[in-house]
Amino acid sequence: GRGGGRGGSKQVIVEPHRHGGVFLARGKEDALVTLNTTPGESVYGEKRISVDAAEGQKVEYRVWNPFRSKLAAAILGGVDSIHMGPGSKVLYLGAASGTTVSHVADLVGKDGLVYAVEFSHRSGRDLINMAKKRTNVIPIIEDARHPHKYRMLVPMVDCIFADVAQPDQTRIVALNAHNFLKNQGHFVISIKASCIDSTAPAEAVFAAEVQKMKAEKMKPLEQLTLEPYERDHAVVIGTYRPPSKNKK
Amino acid sequence: MATNDLVVLYEAAIGYALFDVAESEDIGIQLDSVQDAVQDLGKFGKICKLKAIMPFRTAQDALENINMVSEGMMPELLKDFLETHLPKAASVKKSKVTLGVSDYKLGQAIAEEVHIKCDHTGVVPELIRGIRMHFSKMHKSLKDTLVEKAQLGLGHSYSRAKVKFNVHRVDNMII
Repeated sequence: GRGGGRGGSKQVIVEPHRHGGVFLARGKEDALVTLNTTPGESVYGEKRISVDAAEGQKVEYRVWNPFRSKLAAAILGGVDSIHMGPGSKVLYLGAASGTTVSHVADLVGKDGLVYAVEFSHRSGRDLINMAKKRTNVIPIIEDARHPHKYRMLVPMVDCIFADVAQPDQTRIVALNAHNFLKNQGHFVISIKASCIDSTAPAEAVFAAEVQKMKAEKMKPLEQLTLEPYERDHAVVIGTYRPPSKNKK
Repeated sequence: MATNDLVVLYEAAIGYALFDVAESEDIGIQLDSVQDAVQDLGKFGKICKLKAIMPFRTAQDALENINMVSEGMMPELLKDFLETHLPKAASVKKSKVTLGVSDYKLGQAIAEEVHIKCDHTGVVPELIRGIRMHFSKMHKSLKDTLVEKAQLGLGHSYSRAKVKFNVHRVDNMII
Protein backbone atom coordinates (compact mmCIF):
# COMPACT_ATOMS: atom_id res chain seq x y z
CA GLY A 1 0.00 0.00 0.00
CA ARG A 2 0.94 3.67 -0.11
CA GLY A 3 1.19 3.86 3.61
CA GLY A 4 -1.82 6.04 4.34
CA GLY A 5 -1.22 8.79 6.82
CA ARG A 6 -3.34 11.34 5.00
CA GLY A 7 -6.67 12.49 6.32
CA GLY A 8 -8.33 11.49 9.52
CA SER A 9 -5.13 12.16 11.39
CA LYS A 10 -6.78 14.87 13.47
CA GLN A 11 -8.35 12.33 15.80
CA VAL A 12 -5.06 10.58 16.48
CA ILE A 13 -3.13 11.72 19.51
CA VAL A 14 0.43 10.52 19.94
CA GLU A 15 1.85 10.36 23.44
CA PRO A 16 5.24 9.24 24.72
CA HIS A 17 5.51 5.67 25.94
CA ARG A 18 7.17 4.86 29.24
CA HIS A 19 10.22 3.70 27.24
CA GLY A 20 12.23 6.62 25.85
CA GLY A 21 11.92 7.07 22.08
CA VAL A 22 8.79 4.90 21.87
CA PHE A 23 5.32 6.42 21.39
CA LEU A 24 1.69 5.35 21.52
CA ALA A 25 -0.78 6.54 18.89
CA ARG A 26 -4.25 6.78 20.40
CA GLY A 27 -6.92 6.61 17.73
CA LYS A 28 -9.66 4.19 16.86
CA GLU A 29 -7.17 1.51 17.79
CA ASP A 30 -4.04 2.13 19.82
CA ALA A 31 -0.74 1.47 18.09
CA LEU A 32 2.90 1.42 19.10
CA VAL A 33 4.84 3.91 16.94
CA THR A 34 8.29 5.44 16.55
CA LEU A 35 9.16 8.91 15.28
CA ASN A 36 10.08 8.50 11.61
CA THR A 37 13.60 9.80 11.02
CA THR A 38 13.00 9.68 7.26
CA PRO A 39 9.54 11.31 6.93
CA GLY A 40 7.52 10.37 3.87
CA GLU A 41 8.90 6.86 3.58
CA SER A 42 7.94 3.47 4.88
CA VAL A 43 10.56 0.74 5.20
CA TYR A 44 8.45 -2.39 4.80
CA GLY A 45 4.98 -1.10 3.93
CA GLU A 46 4.10 -0.13 7.50
CA LYS A 47 1.49 2.59 8.07
CA ARG A 48 2.60 6.12 8.77
CA ILE A 49 0.74 8.60 10.95
CA SER A 50 1.19 12.31 10.48
CA VAL A 51 0.38 14.50 13.46
CA ASP A 52 0.23 18.27 13.87
CA ALA A 53 3.01 19.58 16.03
CA ALA A 54 3.80 23.05 17.33
CA GLU A 55 3.76 26.04 14.94
CA GLY A 56 1.90 24.32 12.14
CA GLN A 57 4.66 21.75 11.73
CA LYS A 58 3.88 18.11 11.12
CA VAL A 59 5.68 15.12 12.53
CA GLU A 60 5.42 11.62 11.20
CA TYR A 61 5.38 8.35 13.12
CA ARG A 62 5.61 4.78 11.83
CA VAL A 63 3.45 1.99 13.20
CA TRP A 64 5.45 -0.76 14.90
CA ASN A 65 3.72 -4.11 14.51
CA PRO A 66 4.19 -6.54 17.45
CA PHE A 67 3.37 -9.48 15.18
CA ARG A 68 6.38 -8.59 13.05
CA SER A 69 8.83 -7.45 15.70
CA LYS A 70 9.79 -9.29 18.88
CA LEU A 71 11.02 -6.10 20.48
CA ALA A 72 7.62 -4.46 19.88
CA ALA A 73 5.94 -7.59 21.28
CA ALA A 74 8.14 -7.37 24.39
CA ILE A 75 7.24 -3.70 24.88
CA LEU A 76 3.52 -4.38 24.57
CA GLY A 77 4.00 -7.41 26.84
CA GLY A 78 5.11 -4.93 29.49
CA VAL A 79 8.86 -5.38 29.95
CA ASP A 80 10.34 -3.30 32.70
CA SER A 81 13.03 -1.74 30.51
CA ILE A 82 14.37 -2.26 26.99
CA HIS A 83 17.65 -0.60 28.01
CA MET A 84 17.90 1.43 24.82
CA GLY A 85 16.63 4.92 24.18
CA PRO A 86 17.61 8.26 22.65
CA GLY A 87 21.41 8.40 22.33
CA SER A 88 22.06 4.69 22.95
CA LYS A 89 24.58 2.64 21.05
CA VAL A 90 23.05 -0.73 20.22
CA LEU A 91 24.66 -3.84 18.74
CA TYR A 92 21.84 -5.65 16.97
CA LEU A 93 22.55 -9.33 16.14
CA GLY A 94 20.28 -11.00 13.60
CA ALA A 95 19.21 -7.79 11.88
CA ALA A 96 17.50 -9.62 8.97
CA SER A 97 16.07 -7.15 6.44
CA GLY A 98 16.20 -4.36 8.99
CA THR A 99 12.50 -3.91 9.76
CA THR A 100 12.91 -3.85 13.55
CA VAL A 101 16.33 -2.23 13.13
CA SER A 102 14.62 0.75 11.46
CA HIS A 103 12.43 1.24 14.54
CA VAL A 104 15.42 0.90 16.86
CA ALA A 105 17.17 3.51 14.70
CA ASP A 106 14.14 5.80 15.17
CA LEU A 107 14.13 5.36 18.91
CA VAL A 108 17.86 5.90 19.49
CA GLY A 109 17.61 8.98 17.28
CA LYS A 110 20.35 11.04 15.68
CA ASP A 111 22.62 10.85 18.72
CA GLY A 112 22.44 7.07 18.89
CA LEU A 113 23.87 4.37 16.65
CA VAL A 114 22.76 0.88 15.67
CA TYR A 115 25.42 -1.63 14.58
CA ALA A 116 23.29 -4.13 12.68
CA VAL A 117 24.81 -7.57 12.06
CA GLU A 118 23.24 -9.99 9.58
CA PHE A 119 24.83 -13.02 7.95
CA SER A 120 22.36 -13.77 5.18
CA HIS A 121 23.28 -11.92 2.01
CA ARG A 122 19.75 -11.93 0.74
CA SER A 123 18.29 -10.01 3.67
CA GLY A 124 21.58 -8.16 4.09
CA ARG A 125 20.89 -6.48 0.77
CA ASP A 126 17.64 -4.97 2.14
CA LEU A 127 19.42 -4.05 5.35
CA ILE A 128 22.09 -2.12 3.43
CA ASN A 129 19.44 -0.28 1.41
CA MET A 130 17.53 0.69 4.55
CA ALA A 131 20.78 1.90 6.14
CA LYS A 132 21.51 4.15 3.14
CA LYS A 133 18.64 6.36 4.27
CA ARG A 134 19.31 6.10 7.99
CA THR A 135 22.79 7.30 8.77
CA ASN A 136 22.62 6.05 12.35
CA VAL A 137 22.56 2.43 11.14
CA ILE A 138 25.86 0.72 10.35
CA PRO A 139 25.20 -2.44 8.34
CA ILE A 140 27.56 -5.35 8.96
CA ILE A 141 27.16 -8.39 6.73
CA GLU A 142 29.06 -10.97 8.74
CA ASP A 143 28.61 -14.03 10.93
CA ALA A 144 27.82 -12.98 14.52
CA ARG A 145 29.70 -16.13 15.65
CA HIS A 146 32.93 -14.38 14.70
CA PRO A 147 32.86 -10.95 16.34
CA HIS A 148 36.59 -10.51 15.69
CA LYS A 149 35.78 -10.19 11.99
CA TYR A 150 33.91 -6.95 12.57
CA ARG A 151 35.94 -5.66 15.51
CA MET A 152 37.18 -2.70 13.45
CA LEU A 153 33.60 -1.47 13.00
CA VAL A 154 32.10 -1.68 16.47
CA PRO A 155 32.82 0.40 19.61
CA MET A 156 31.72 -0.43 23.16
CA VAL A 157 27.93 -0.43 23.19
CA ASP A 158 25.23 0.16 25.82
CA CYS A 159 23.01 -2.73 24.77
CA ILE A 160 23.11 -5.91 22.71
CA PHE A 161 19.84 -7.00 21.17
CA ALA A 162 19.84 -10.52 19.74
CA ASP A 163 17.32 -12.29 17.55
CA VAL A 164 19.58 -14.82 15.85
CA ALA A 165 17.46 -17.98 16.22
CA GLN A 166 20.47 -20.29 16.41
CA PRO A 167 20.93 -23.28 18.75
CA ASP A 168 24.11 -21.69 20.15
CA GLN A 169 22.68 -18.17 20.39
CA THR A 170 23.55 -17.60 24.06
CA ARG A 171 27.18 -18.36 23.26
CA ILE A 172 26.98 -15.98 20.28
CA VAL A 173 25.67 -13.17 22.50
CA ALA A 174 28.31 -13.91 25.16
CA LEU A 175 31.13 -13.72 22.60
CA ASN A 176 29.85 -10.36 21.41
CA ALA A 177 29.37 -9.10 24.97
CA HIS A 178 32.96 -10.01 25.90
CA ASN A 179 34.16 -7.91 22.98
CA PHE A 180 31.74 -5.01 22.77
CA LEU A 181 29.36 -4.68 25.74
CA LYS A 182 30.21 -2.17 28.45
CA ASN A 183 30.48 -3.32 32.03
CA GLN A 184 26.95 -3.11 33.41
CA GLY A 185 25.61 -2.83 29.88
CA HIS A 186 22.46 -4.75 29.04
CA PHE A 187 21.42 -7.57 26.77
CA VAL A 188 17.98 -8.28 25.35
CA ILE A 189 17.71 -11.76 23.84
CA SER A 190 14.76 -13.20 21.99
CA ILE A 191 14.64 -16.98 22.34
CA LYS A 192 12.61 -19.20 20.05
CA ALA A 193 12.38 -22.49 21.93
CA SER A 194 12.09 -24.69 18.84
CA CYS A 195 15.30 -23.24 17.37
CA ILE A 196 17.26 -24.51 20.35
CA ASP A 197 15.52 -27.79 21.13
CA SER A 198 12.31 -28.74 19.39
CA THR A 199 11.71 -31.78 21.64
CA ALA A 200 11.93 -30.20 25.11
CA PRO A 201 9.12 -28.08 26.58
CA ALA A 202 9.61 -24.36 25.94
CA GLU A 203 9.90 -23.50 29.63
CA ALA A 204 12.74 -26.00 30.08
CA VAL A 205 14.57 -24.54 27.08
CA PHE A 206 14.29 -20.99 28.48
CA ALA A 207 15.54 -22.15 31.89
CA ALA A 208 18.53 -23.89 30.32
CA GLU A 209 19.43 -20.77 28.33
CA VAL A 210 19.25 -18.63 31.47
CA GLN A 211 21.70 -21.03 33.14
CA LYS A 212 24.09 -20.64 30.21
CA MET A 213 23.90 -16.84 30.55
CA LYS A 214 24.80 -16.97 34.23
CA ALA A 215 27.98 -18.86 33.36
CA GLU A 216 29.03 -15.95 31.09
CA LYS A 217 28.77 -13.04 33.55
CA MET A 218 25.34 -12.29 32.11
CA LYS A 219 22.89 -11.74 34.94
CA PRO A 220 19.26 -12.17 33.87
CA LEU A 221 16.91 -9.51 35.27
CA GLU A 222 13.61 -10.42 33.68
CA GLN A 223 12.02 -12.99 31.43
CA LEU A 224 8.80 -12.63 29.50
CA THR A 225 6.96 -14.82 27.01
CA LEU A 226 5.82 -13.15 23.82
CA GLU A 227 2.24 -14.45 23.88
CA PRO A 228 -0.08 -13.64 22.15
CA TYR A 229 2.21 -12.31 19.40
CA GLU A 230 4.60 -15.26 19.13
CA ARG A 231 4.34 -18.86 20.26
CA ASP A 232 6.98 -20.47 22.50
CA HIS A 233 9.11 -17.38 22.41
CA ALA A 234 10.64 -15.59 25.37
CA VAL A 235 12.65 -12.46 25.83
CA VAL A 236 15.37 -12.50 28.46
CA ILE A 237 16.83 -9.19 29.58
CA GLY A 238 19.81 -8.79 31.86
CA THR A 239 22.98 -7.01 32.93
CA TYR A 240 26.47 -7.87 31.73
CA ARG A 241 29.16 -7.95 34.41
CA PRO A 242 26.91 -6.59 37.17
CA PRO A 243 28.71 -4.75 39.99
CA SER A 244 30.00 -7.28 42.51
CA LYS A 245 28.32 -7.23 45.91
CA ASN A 246 31.46 -7.55 48.04
CA LYS A 247 32.82 -4.18 46.87
CA LYS A 248 32.78 -1.33 49.40
CA MET B 1 60.96 -14.80 35.51
CA ALA B 2 61.61 -11.83 33.35
CA THR B 3 58.66 -10.66 31.34
CA ASN B 4 58.57 -8.65 28.19
CA ASP B 5 57.17 -5.19 27.75
CA LEU B 6 53.59 -5.36 26.63
CA VAL B 7 52.34 -3.35 23.67
CA VAL B 8 48.75 -3.65 22.48
CA LEU B 9 47.60 -3.41 18.87
CA TYR B 10 44.18 -1.87 18.29
CA GLU B 11 42.53 -1.94 14.88
CA ALA B 12 39.87 0.70 14.26
CA ALA B 13 37.88 1.94 11.30
CA ILE B 14 40.14 4.99 11.09
CA GLY B 15 43.42 3.06 11.25
CA TYR B 16 45.83 1.16 13.50
CA ALA B 17 47.08 2.17 16.92
CA LEU B 18 49.69 0.86 19.33
CA PHE B 19 49.46 1.29 23.09
CA ASP B 20 52.25 0.96 25.64
CA VAL B 21 51.13 -0.86 28.77
CA ALA B 22 52.62 0.34 32.04
CA GLU B 23 53.38 -1.93 35.01
CA SER B 24 53.05 -5.13 33.08
CA GLU B 25 55.21 -7.12 35.52
CA ASP B 26 52.31 -8.46 37.50
CA ILE B 27 49.66 -9.67 35.13
CA GLY B 28 47.50 -11.24 37.82
CA ILE B 29 47.04 -8.11 39.90
CA GLN B 30 46.72 -6.05 36.80
CA LEU B 31 43.74 -8.00 35.54
CA ASP B 32 41.71 -6.73 38.50
CA SER B 33 43.01 -3.19 38.38
CA VAL B 34 42.40 -3.06 34.64
CA GLN B 35 38.83 -4.20 35.15
CA ASP B 36 38.24 -1.32 37.51
CA ALA B 37 40.22 1.21 35.52
CA VAL B 38 38.38 0.44 32.29
CA GLN B 39 35.50 2.54 33.59
CA ASP B 40 37.64 5.58 34.23
CA LEU B 41 39.64 7.25 31.48
CA GLY B 42 41.89 9.00 34.02
CA LYS B 43 42.99 5.69 35.52
CA PHE B 44 43.01 3.76 32.28
CA GLY B 45 45.11 6.40 30.52
CA LYS B 46 47.85 5.72 33.07
CA ILE B 47 47.87 1.98 32.35
CA CYS B 48 47.55 2.26 28.60
CA LYS B 49 49.32 5.03 26.68
CA LEU B 50 48.95 5.70 22.98
CA LYS B 51 52.34 5.00 21.42
CA ALA B 52 51.65 5.44 17.72
CA ILE B 53 48.81 5.75 15.30
CA MET B 54 48.58 4.97 11.59
CA PRO B 55 45.45 6.31 9.91
CA PHE B 56 44.12 4.83 6.69
CA ARG B 57 44.64 7.33 3.89
CA THR B 58 41.61 6.48 1.78
CA ALA B 59 38.36 4.55 2.08
CA GLN B 60 39.77 2.01 -0.39
CA ASP B 61 42.81 1.64 1.84
CA ALA B 62 40.57 0.99 4.86
CA LEU B 63 38.52 -1.58 2.98
CA GLU B 64 41.58 -3.53 1.83
CA ASN B 65 42.89 -3.56 5.39
CA ILE B 66 39.67 -4.69 7.07
CA ASN B 67 39.23 -7.43 4.46
CA MET B 68 42.63 -8.87 5.34
CA VAL B 69 42.54 -8.29 9.09
CA SER B 70 39.11 -9.92 9.44
CA GLU B 71 40.56 -13.04 7.81
CA GLY B 72 43.60 -13.05 10.12
CA MET B 73 46.07 -11.91 7.45
CA MET B 74 48.57 -9.10 7.86
CA PRO B 75 48.29 -6.19 5.41
CA GLU B 76 51.44 -4.45 4.19
CA LEU B 77 50.44 -1.25 5.97
CA LEU B 78 50.22 -3.02 9.31
CA LYS B 79 53.58 -4.71 8.73
CA ASP B 80 55.24 -1.35 8.04
CA PHE B 81 53.57 0.17 11.07
CA LEU B 82 54.75 -2.59 13.41
CA GLU B 83 58.29 -2.59 11.99
CA THR B 84 58.54 1.17 12.42
CA HIS B 85 57.42 1.26 16.03
CA LEU B 86 58.54 -2.02 17.59
CA PRO B 87 62.13 -3.13 18.23
CA LYS B 88 63.44 -5.58 15.67
CA ALA B 89 64.27 -9.10 16.77
CA ALA B 90 66.02 -11.94 14.96
CA SER B 91 63.40 -14.45 16.05
CA VAL B 92 60.16 -14.64 18.02
CA LYS B 93 62.08 -16.06 20.99
CA LYS B 94 64.41 -13.07 21.12
CA SER B 95 61.55 -10.59 20.86
CA LYS B 96 61.83 -7.92 23.56
CA VAL B 97 58.17 -7.02 23.48
CA THR B 98 54.98 -8.98 23.59
CA LEU B 99 52.28 -7.68 21.29
CA GLY B 100 48.72 -7.98 22.57
CA VAL B 101 46.36 -8.75 19.72
CA SER B 102 42.59 -9.33 19.34
CA ASP B 103 42.80 -12.37 17.13
CA TYR B 104 44.93 -15.48 17.47
CA LYS B 105 45.25 -15.94 13.72
CA LEU B 106 46.46 -12.42 13.09
CA GLY B 107 48.91 -12.93 15.97
CA GLN B 108 50.36 -15.98 14.23
CA ALA B 109 50.77 -14.05 10.99
CA ILE B 110 52.52 -11.21 12.83
CA ALA B 111 54.83 -13.57 14.74
CA GLU B 112 55.83 -15.25 11.50
CA GLU B 113 56.54 -12.13 9.49
CA VAL B 114 57.72 -9.53 12.02
CA HIS B 115 59.18 -11.87 14.68
CA ILE B 116 57.20 -10.43 17.56
CA LYS B 117 55.75 -12.60 20.27
CA CYS B 118 51.95 -12.23 20.26
CA ASP B 119 49.38 -12.88 22.95
CA HIS B 120 45.61 -12.67 22.80
CA THR B 121 44.82 -14.07 26.26
CA GLY B 122 44.80 -13.03 29.93
CA VAL B 123 44.93 -9.29 30.42
CA VAL B 124 44.95 -8.49 26.69
CA PRO B 125 41.20 -8.77 25.97
CA GLU B 126 40.51 -6.57 29.01
CA LEU B 127 42.97 -3.94 27.82
CA ILE B 128 41.38 -4.00 24.38
CA ARG B 129 37.94 -3.52 25.98
CA GLY B 130 39.35 -0.47 27.73
CA ILE B 131 40.88 0.92 24.56
CA ARG B 132 37.63 0.32 22.67
CA MET B 133 35.81 2.21 25.41
CA HIS B 134 38.04 5.27 25.48
CA PHE B 135 39.71 5.21 22.06
CA SER B 136 38.28 8.46 20.69
CA LYS B 137 39.38 10.30 23.85
CA MET B 138 42.90 8.93 24.00
CA HIS B 139 44.41 11.24 21.41
CA LYS B 140 43.74 14.86 20.59
CA SER B 141 43.42 14.17 16.86
CA LEU B 142 40.47 11.84 17.50
CA LYS B 143 36.84 12.68 18.06
CA ASP B 144 33.69 10.60 18.57
CA THR B 145 32.14 11.90 15.36
CA LEU B 146 35.29 11.16 13.37
CA VAL B 147 35.48 7.58 14.60
CA GLU B 148 31.75 7.02 14.06
CA LYS B 149 31.83 8.43 10.53
CA ALA B 150 34.68 6.06 9.71
CA GLN B 151 32.69 3.12 11.10
CA LEU B 152 29.66 4.11 9.04
CA GLY B 153 31.59 4.46 5.80
CA LEU B 154 33.63 1.31 6.29
CA GLY B 155 30.58 -0.69 7.46
CA HIS B 156 28.80 0.15 4.22
CA SER B 157 31.73 -0.59 1.94
CA TYR B 158 32.63 -3.83 3.77
CA SER B 159 29.03 -5.06 3.69
CA ARG B 160 28.37 -3.98 0.10
CA ALA B 161 31.43 -5.90 -1.03
CA LYS B 162 30.24 -9.01 0.83
CA VAL B 163 26.86 -8.94 -0.88
CA LYS B 164 28.23 -7.99 -4.28
CA PHE B 165 30.50 -10.98 -4.64
CA ASN B 166 27.91 -13.46 -3.50
CA VAL B 167 27.58 -16.10 -6.21
CA HIS B 168 24.35 -17.42 -4.73
CA ARG B 169 22.41 -14.33 -5.66
CA VAL B 170 19.13 -15.20 -7.23
CA ASP B 171 18.10 -11.86 -8.61
CA ASN B 172 20.86 -11.34 -11.16
CA MET B 173 19.40 -9.50 -14.13
CA ILE B 174 19.85 -11.01 -17.56
CA ILE B 175 20.23 -8.25 -20.10
